[in-house]
Amino acid sequence: MPCEMITLQLGQCGNQIGFEFWKKLCAEHGISSEGILEDYATEGTDRKDVFFYQSDDEHYIPRAVLLDLEPRVIHTIMNSPYSKLYNPENIYLSKHGGGAGNNWASGYHQGEKLQEEIFDILDREADGSDSLEVYTIILLELVLLGFVLCHSIAGGTGSGMGSFMLESLADRFPKKLIETYSVFPNQDEISDVVVQPYNSLLTLKRLTQCADCVVVLDNTALNRIASDRLHIQNPSFTQINKLVSTIMSVSTTTLRYPSYMNNDLVGLIAPLIPTPRLHFLMTGYTPLTTDQEGASVRKTSVLDVMRRLLQPKNMMVSTALDRNASHCYISILNIIQGEVDPTQVHKSLQRIRERKLAQFIPWGPASIQVALSRKSPYIQSTHRVSGLMLANHTNISSLFDRALQQYDKLRKREAFLEQFRKEKMFEDNLDELDNSREVVEYLVKEYQAATRVDYLSWNPSKLET
Amino acid sequence: MSEFKLHHLVVELIELLGSSSAPEKHVEKLQKEGVPTSASALAIIASQSSICNLAKKSPVPELFLQKYEELKAKKVDLLGLFIQLLELISEDKELKNYLAKEASNVSSLSTKNAAITTEDLPQICKNVIKAAVEGEKKLNKVCAITKKTESSVIKHNWVYERPRITWDFYNEPNVMPCQKVVPIISQESILLWDILYCLKGIDGTYIVSEPLTSPHAVKTFNISPDVCISYKQLTQQILPLASHYSMATRFVEEKVLAEDGQVNHALRGAIKSLLKDYLLEMEHVRGKLNLQKLWFYIQPTMIAMSILSQITSTICKANAKGGKVLSLLHEQANNISGEAKFKELCLFLIQTASIPYMQILEKWVYKGVICDPYEEFFVEDNELIHREELPIDYSADYWEKRYTMRPERTPTFLNEQAQTIMRTGKYFNVIRQCGKIVQWRKQESLIYQHQGQKYIATIDRAYSEAAKTLLEVLIHENDLMGRLRSVKNYFLLAQGDFVVQFMNLCETELNKNMYDIVIHRLASLLEVALRMSTADSDPYKDDLKPELLPYDLQFQMFRILSIQTRDEKEYSSQTDKTLTGLEAFVFNYDVKWPVSLILNRKAVACYQMLHLFYCKYIERRLCRVWVSNKIAKTFTHNVAMSYRQAFSLRQRMLDCIQHLAYYMMVEVIEPNWLTFISKMSKVSNVDDVLSVHQDLQDSYLKECMLTDPDLLGCITGICSACLEFCNFMERMSPYYIDAELTSMIGAYQEDVYDCEDDDGDMYKENAVSFEETIISLDEKFTQVLIRLLDRICDLGCDNNNEKLLNVFCRLDFNLFYTDILIRRGREKTMQEDVSG
Repeated sequence: MPCEMITLQLGQCGNQIGFEFWKKLCAEHGISSEGILEDYATEGTDRKDVFFYQSDDEHYIPRAVLLDLEPRVIHTIMNSPYSKLYNPENIYLSKHGGGAGNNWASGYHQGEKLQEEIFDILDREADGSDSLEVYTIILLELVLLGFVLCHSIAGGTGSGMGSFMLESLADRFPKKLIETYSVFPNQDEISDVVVQPYNSLLTLKRLTQCADCVVVLDNTALNRIASDRLHIQNPSFTQINKLVSTIMSVSTTTLRYPSYMNNDLVGLIAPLIPTPRLHFLMTGYTPLTTDQEGASVRKTSVLDVMRRLLQPKNMMVSTALDRNASHCYISILNIIQGEVDPTQVHKSLQRIRERKLAQFIPWGPASIQVALSRKSPYIQSTHRVSGLMLANHTNISSLFDRALQQYDKLRKREAFLEQFRKEKMFEDNLDELDNSREVVEYLVKEYQAATRVDYLSWNPSKLET
Repeated sequence: MSEFKLHHLVVELIELLGSSSAPEKHVEKLQKEGVPTSASALAIIASQSSICNLAKKSPVPELFLQKYEELKAKKVDLLGLFIQLLELISEDKELKNYLAKEASNVSSLSTKNAAITTEDLPQICKNVIKAAVEGEKKLNKVCAITKKTESSVIKHNWVYERPRITWDFYNEPNVMPCQKVVPIISQESILLWDILYCLKGIDGTYIVSEPLTSPHAVKTFNISPDVCISYKQLTQQILPLASHYSMATRFVEEKVLAEDGQVNHALRGAIKSLLKDYLLEMEHVRGKLNLQKLWFYIQPTMIAMSILSQITSTICKANAKGGKVLSLLHEQANNISGEAKFKELCLFLIQTASIPYMQILEKWVYKGVICDPYEEFFVEDNELIHREELPIDYSADYWEKRYTMRPERTPTFLNEQAQTIMRTGKYFNVIRQCGKIVQWRKQESLIYQHQGQKYIATIDRAYSEAAKTLLEVLIHENDLMGRLRSVKNYFLLAQGDFVVQFMNLCETELNKNMYDIVIHRLASLLEVALRMSTADSDPYKDDLKPELLPYDLQFQMFRILSIQTRDEKEYSSQTDKTLTGLEAFVFNYDVKWPVSLILNRKAVACYQMLHLFYCKYIERRLCRVWVSNKIAKTFTHNVAMSYRQAFSLRQRMLDCIQHLAYYMMVEVIEPNWLTFISKMSKVSNVDDVLSVHQDLQDSYLKECMLTDPDLLGCITGICSACLEFCNFMERMSPYYIDAELTSMIGAYQEDVYDCEDDDGDMYKENAVSFEETIISLDEKFTQVLIRLLDRICDLGCDNNNEKLLNVFCRLDFNLFYTDILIRRGREKTMQEDVSG
C-alpha cells in the first residue's frame, strides 16, 4: 500500500490526542467504535488502509501503537466504547507503572530498557500488515511509508521516551518518513513541571536531528483559540484535543480520499521542507466551530478561508511578533475541503499576491500550494468550505528562542538538575544539555538566515572563525 | 467540415504551393471568416455582373462566354464558386501578376525538360519501359475487371445495333427532299402527310430530317425549295414539334442501359407513356385536316412537347442521373409558371421518376441500409473493412468515412434535409450493428410532393426516433458515461491512488529499456494495482491495458500536428534511439462496439498523449531525492552548506512540476470535464456526443500546452532537466553517507577535515565537481523554465489563453523568477555598458 502509516502514541498527552484522532477517523470512514464498518459505508471510495488494516472482512484495526509508562490514560481508553477498536497486542504499559516522573532522562532510559519489546511490536506492525498474501513478496519493501508520532515535549514519557524512539526509528528505518505531532507547553500558565525547559530542549534536539517533519502544536495558541474563537472559558483537554485531531485528520485527507493530486504523503510534505533541517510546520484551521453552534450552513468563500488562514490569530502556534527580523514564509500548503471552483482558488491566490498578505523567502520560488480535497461523506459539515494550512514560517524560531531563554534562566541557577544527574546519561557531566542547547541555537540561527537572500551560502561555522 | 479536415486541406494546399508558412494561421483565419460548407452555399449561382466583368477583362470575350455557357449547360458543380474565384483573381492585381509569372515559370520548366541530352537517354529509356510494363499490368487488370462485368450484365442497346427500329428519324445517307413539281393546290395535302410523318419520326418526301451534328442537338429539317412560301412558313412553325418529339424519343431510346440508373429508367418510362399518347393523338387528328387546322390542333401538344424536349436535352447534356435528374426536374417544375396543365405534366414526370429514389431513401431512413447499385443516392457507402476483422480501426473510421455525402447527387428538394437523412440512416445502421431490431409501428412511405411537406415531416420523425434510440443504446445500455468516467480515472489520473500504486509496483520494470520489458508482467502488475486501489470498485477496470509505443510523446505530438518546423525534422531523426519503458509507456483501453464510436482509436490516442503520467513520475523521482536527502539534517554546517544549493534546485524543480500538474489536473481537466458533463446532459443525438467529446479533447490538448510546439518543447525540456538532476543525485547518494560519517566525527575532527579539504584529495575533487554539476544543472533548468515563462507570457497576452497565465502567476508567486530576469537584464546592460 502506498501510504501506510504507523501511529505511535506516547505518554499521557500523546495517547489523549491519539484517542481523539482515531475517534475522528472512525467517524470519517464510517467505522464503528468496535472497528466494524457501518452499513452505510460499505460502498465508499475512500482509502481506509492508510491508517487501518483489515483483520477480516469487516473488522478494521488502527495501525496504532499505544505506549505509556503510567496506566491512567490508557485505562481510560480501555474503559471507553472504543476499547475493542485497538489491537490489544499493540498497547504497551510499563509494568511498574510508575511513570517517568516528568523527567526526560527517566523516560529516555526507560525507553532504552524497553526497546526490545517495543520494537517487537513495531516490526510486527511494519511487516505483517498486509492481508493480500500472494502479493506480499512484491510489496514487502513498499508496505510501510513512515511513522507518525504523537507526544508532548514537556512531560517525561512523551519527551524522554519519545526522544529515544525518534533516535532508534531514524537509526532502524533511515528511508522512512518520520512525522511527529509535537505538543509544546503552554507559556501563559505556570507549569507544574518545573524541569519543563530541560525536557523541551532535550526533545527539541531529537526533533531537529531525527524527525523529518514536525507539526508544532502550541498549547498556548490552542488555549487561546479555544477561548477566543470558540468562546470556551476553561477549555478542557478533550476540547483542545479535538482541535488537534481535526488538524491531524485533515492533513491526511488527500491520502484517504484520493483524487487527482497529492496522493502521496511525501509529495505533500516535500515541497514544504526545502532544506532538511527547517522542518517545523505551523498549522492553522478555519472555520472553527463548536458542536453547539452553527446549525445553518454558512457561505464561506474560498477567499475568506485562504485569507483567514494567513491571520496569526488562527494559527495554532503563538509566536511573538518579532518586528526586527523580517520573518517570512518558506512555504505554504493549503488543504481546502468542500465544493471549490478552481477559478475561485486562483482568484484568491491573485488577491493575496496583489495585497501582499503573505511575505515569502527571497532565495527561491515560494507560493501557496493548494490541495483540493473531498470531505468525508458521513459527516455533516456546517461549512461549505473549510481549510487547513500547513506552513513553514521562519517565525517559528521565536518558539525555540523562548525555550532557549527559559532553559538559560534555569540553567544559570543550576536548578533541579539533581533528578537528571541520577540517570546514566548525566552521571558524569551535563554535556548532553549543552550540546542540545547548541543544536537548538543553530536551528534558530538557520531560521533567521533563511529570511535573507544569501541563505544558500550561509555557514555559521565560517562566520564564527 | 471538421476542423481536422480543414486543417488537412490547408496543409495539402500549402505543400502543393511549396510554401513554408504555418497552416494554423490560415486555418484560424478561415474559421474566423466562417467558411461556407453547407450544400446550399456550394450551389451559389454566379451573378450576371461578375460574368460580364470577367468577359470584359478577358482578351477574347466571346470565347470566354462560349466556354461559360458550355459549362453551365453541363450543370457543372461549383461553377458559381469557380466564377467567384476567377473574379477575385482578376481583381487582385498582385496575385494575377504572380500567377502569370508562375505560369510562365511552369512553361519554361517544361521546355527545359524538353531539352533532352544524350546522357539522359538511357534513363528515359528505362523509365519508358518501366511505365510501359506497369501500364500493361494495369491494362490487364482493367481488362479482367471489365470482362467480369461484361459477362454478368448484358449491355445491349438495340437501337444502336438495329438502327432501323428507331422511332426517331432514321437517316438514309444523302437523302434530299423531293424536287418534283407539284401544283400549289396539291402541295397542301402532300405536305400534311409529310408533316404527320415527321411528327411521328419518319421522313417525308418533301420534308427530310437532317443528320444530327451532335448526339444531343436539335433536329432540323430540310424542306423542299419547291414548296410554296406560305405553306413553307406554316410548316416551319409546326416542325419544332417534330424536333421536340425527336429529342424525347432519343432520350427514351438512349437511357436503357443499367448504368443510367433507376431514376432515368423511371423517367424514361413516364416519357414513353406520354409519347405513346402523343402518337395516338397524331393518329387521331389524321384525315380531316388542312395545315391551318393542324396548326391549331397541335398548339397544346406543342408546349407539352417543348417541355419534354427541354427536360430531356438538359438531362442528356448534363449526363445526369440519380439525384441530379431529380434536381433538374424539380427546377423545371419550379420554373413553369404558366398553365396548371403543364405544371402537372412536370409533376407527373418528377413523381414517377422519384419513385425508385424514394424507395432507396425509405430503406435508408427506416433501416439504415443502402441499396443503390447504380450510385444514384446521395449517401455513399464506403464499407472497406468489416467490423469483425478489425474492431478498433473499424470504429475509428466508421463515423467519418463509412458513409459520405455526395452533394451533387442530392436532389434540390432534399437539400435542407440532407444532413438529417444522412444521420438517420447512420444511426439506424449502428443500431442494427448492435444487434437490435428497430420496431416500426407504421412505416409511412415517402412520396415526392411539390408543395406539401409531408415527406419532410416523416423524415424528421424517423430521425428523432433514430437519434433517441441510438442515444438510449449508447448511454443507457452501454453506459457511455461510466466508460468515460473510467477512462478519465486512468488516463487523466483522476484515480490518484491507483497511479501511485501502479508506479510503486511497476517502477523497476518500467525503468528498463522498452525492448526488455515483458508486457505480460506489466499487465499482471497493472491488474494488481487496480485491485489494490480504490479503482477496485470500477466495473470496467479490466479493460485497462498497458501498452508500449515505439515513440515518445513529443514525436507523436509533432507527427499529429504535422507542423513543418525544423524541430520536427530533429525529432523524426531521433526516433531510432531506444526508449525506456517509462517514455514508451501508455495506458490502453479496450473498447467495445458501439462505445468505440465515441472512444475510437483517435480519441484514445488523444488521451494517451496527455503527458500526465510522465509528470507524476518526475514528481515521484524528485520526492525520492527529497527522502534520500533528509539524512543531511545531521551534517555539519560546512557540508550542509555545499548541499543547500542542490536542495534549493530540487525545491525549485518540485515546485515547478507540482504547479504544472496542479494546473493541468485541477484547472484544465476537471473544469472541462464538468462542462463536458453538463453539455452531455443536453445532447440529443450521437453527432452531438461526438462533437462535445471532441471539444473536450481539443480543449485538453490545447490547454495542457500540447498544441504549441514551443511550449511542448519547454515542458519536455523541464522534464528532462529534472530527470537528469534526479539521476545525478541518486548517483551521488553514496557520497552523502561519506559526508555524514565525516560529520559524525567531524565535530571533533574539524581540523583534519579542513586540511583534507586543502589537500585537494579525492573527496574534494568530488565536492567540486558536485557543486559544478549542480550549477550547470541549475543553469539548464532555469533557462528552460524562463523560456517557458516567456512563452506563456507571449501566448497569454493574445488570444484566449488566459488560463495559461495562471501557471505563470503561480510559478512566479513571490516574483523570484521576475527578479532573476530583471537581474540578468541589468547585468547584460552593464556588460554592454562596459564593452561599449
